[in-house]
Amino acid sequence: MRTFHRLVVLAAATGLLGTGVARAQMEHEVKAAHLFKFLSYVDWPAAAFEGTRDPFVIGVIDAEEVRASLADIVRGREARGRPVEVRRLESGDATEGVHVLFIGRPASEPLLRLVGRPALLLVTEAEGALDRGAMINLMLVDDRVRFEVAPQVAERSGLHISSRLLVLAQSVRTVAP
Amino acid sequence: MRLPGFLRRSVRRKVTALVVATTLAALLVTALALVSYNVHDYRQSKLAEMRTQAEIIGRASAPALTFADRKEATRGLAMLEARPDVLQAALYAADGTLFASYARDGDSADIPVRWATLGEWIEQDRLDLVSPIVEDGQRLGTILLRARYGLRDRLLAYLVILGTVMAGALGAAVLLSAWLQRAVTEPIQGVADAARRVVDRRDFSVRAGRTTEDEIGMLADAMNRMLADLEREIRERRDAEEALRVVDRRKDEFLATLAHELRNPLAPIRNALHLMQAPGSDARVNAEARAIIDRQVRQMVRLVDDLLEVSRITTGNLALRRERVELRSVAAAALEAVDPIMREHGHRLTVDLPPIGLLIDADPTRLAQVFLNLLNNAAKFTPQGGRIDFSLEVKDGEMIGRVRDNGVGIAADMLDPIFEMFAQADRSLERTTSGLGVGLSLSRKLIELHGGRLEARSAGPNQGAEFTVRIPAAGAAGRDRGDGTAGPRFASSPRLVPARDASPSPLATAATEKKCRVLVVDDNQDFADTLGHMLKSLGHEVRVEHDGLAGLAAARTFRPDIAFLDIGMPGLNGYDLARRLRAFDSTRGVVLIAVTGWGQANDRQRAYDAGFDDHVVKPLEMDRLQSLLGRMG
Repeated sequence: MRTFHRLVVLAAATGLLGTGVARAQMEHEVKAAHLFKFLSYVDWPAAAFEGTRDPFVIGVIDAEEVRASLADIVRGREARGRPVEVRRLESGDATEGVHVLFIGRPASEPLLRLVGRPALLLVTEAEGALDRGAMINLMLVDDRVRFEVAPQVAERSGLHISSRLLVLAQSVRTVAP
Repeated sequence: MRLPGFLRRSVRRKVTALVVATTLAALLVTALALVSYNVHDYRQSKLAEMRTQAEIIGRASAPALTFADRKEATRGLAMLEARPDVLQAALYAADGTLFASYARDGDSADIPVRWATLGEWIEQDRLDLVSPIVEDGQRLGTILLRARYGLRDRLLAYLVILGTVMAGALGAAVLLSAWLQRAVTEPIQGVADAARRVVDRRDFSVRAGRTTEDEIGMLADAMNRMLADLEREIRERRDAEEALRVVDRRKDEFLATLAHELRNPLAPIRNALHLMQAPGSDARVNAEARAIIDRQVRQMVRLVDDLLEVSRITTGNLALRRERVELRSVAAAALEAVDPIMREHGHRLTVDLPPIGLLIDADPTRLAQVFLNLLNNAAKFTPQGGRIDFSLEVKDGEMIGRVRDNGVGIAADMLDPIFEMFAQADRSLERTTSGLGVGLSLSRKLIELHGGRLEARSAGPNQGAEFTVRIPAAGAAGRDRGDGTAGPRFASSPRLVPARDASPSPLATAATEKKCRVLVVDDNQDFADTLGHMLKSLGHEVRVEHDGLAGLAAARTFRPDIAFLDIGMPGLNGYDLARRLRAFDSTRGVVLIAVTGWGQANDRQRAYDAGFDDHVVKPLEMDRLQSLLGRMG
């Protein structure tokens, strides 16, 4: 069984992320898995791709462990019929061609400038990030990785977040800041 | 087919049973088909429904499985509360471990913690359906739905409906058949009732009512026809039995009469014999005694003749010997015979006969016998000094003979019965007339054998009576051509059937014949000798022999004109003697007369075949003898 599944299943089975280093590692892996699965619940405009086989590109800033896990997960896998590519980005790097941008906690401050950029799903892991323009914010609730969503913000970027995902969200921010 | 007893006894029940059985069978087959289709259909639709439900729940649960959100997954399963038939549900993760569960009654203890096998199971009233949850080609997990199958309830409800419908249909069928079967059973009932009445009351006048045009109607018709036939046959049998009883009674009466009549002459005969045997009886007394004996013996012979006729009639041997006869001679024979009794009663007899030479095809003896009988009756039943008319004529091809008297007459209700055998109009012991009651019956039979009829007419008691004989004479009657060639041998023989003169009194024709040479051959010496004496007394030359051979020899030498031959004789019997005599030239022309005790038709025929010219039955009376010899003239 693939790692991703193992992780999900493990998380589901235990319901907890564990403790210590192992716990931190687990958290990164679960977050990486979430990033991959979000691809299935978000609709990008057709213009976001040049060809039908163009890959999904997930950019990761300031979250090396998550990026590493994600790279493991997407290897040889597809989402919605497209291959998935993971890029390590620095703050200030161009985001052309990137569909999902995960911004690690340390780098969440400079997000505001990215708000409103078309077809880029902004995912963060910092409290209050939705107020600063993030669309999905990962968080820990009772030692589980959960997330909150601001669908209207995403809409403004031309992204549609499936209601099925919203159902699972810890909270849904309905009013734009 | 063997049916239970209560069905065998009534058509109505049979028809009802028939309707109920066929309706029930049809309904059961229909119900069976409906139920089996329903069971199958229910299974299919239930499974399809559950599959859909599993799919829906599976899809809805996919994100929860994806993001390992147990809470959300449990909430998703809880939506099944809207489906009361789903008892339990469970989601299993991709590795087969229980992820979330739902139990309608809150008790999820019996939900397995792991599940790997996919499929559908129906066990008793429980349906288990396990299907995979797949999204984007990824197997996310497995869903288990456990529902109440509900077939039992469904079937129960269905059977209740079916039962109600069947009961209704049966009821309707029975009502309808009860109404319709009246068209079948009522006519049958009618026929059966009629049959039962016939059997119970022996009443064959009962008829079955015909109410339909079908087979039952035909049955009623057939039964009615049979009843009619039966009724008629029973009536006929009753009538026949009654007629037999009447005949039987008449026969008894006849026997009594016969005994009486036969006994009557015996006393005078015995008395006459006493007179003759008495010493010193003179010639006058002897002559008187002989006259008495003669009269009484005649009477007895007549009675015995009647008896013979009765036996001929009853054995069916009454036959005619028809020949062409001259009418007047027949009348003359009868008139001659009746002359004594007419004289005795002092009647005035008027005779109206046709001209001489009228011929008719008839048995002369029998015809004369009929006229004699009618004339005798007229004489007997007319008081002393009466008037009697006898007429004969041929008119329109018919010979009509009438005998009319002014005597006691006949009551209207006796006009027919007097023609019946042994009938006596007057049954009283004191009756003045005698006889066996055979005459009229025999006469009518004889006339009918001639193809004619004999009828009686009378205005009533003491009004006189008239008897009419009618015999068809067409084709046969006519003038004799006189050449002696027409008609059969006896009729054409001038010696036997001479066309008589129209003598003023037919009674005067007897005993005026010429003298003949007569041969008598009979082994009964008394008979032969007395006959010989009688013939001699009439003036003939007589030779008597007592056996056949002697007779033959005598015939050759004696050359008789006429020979009276007995049939049963030693040496040479009568038939053979006759043949021999016919074979010789010298004796060929002798008139041969057979004299026997047997008067049956076949005896006569044998005699004629042997060559006899005539056949007479013993005893041979003087009158008959004279008549035979008279023809020789």
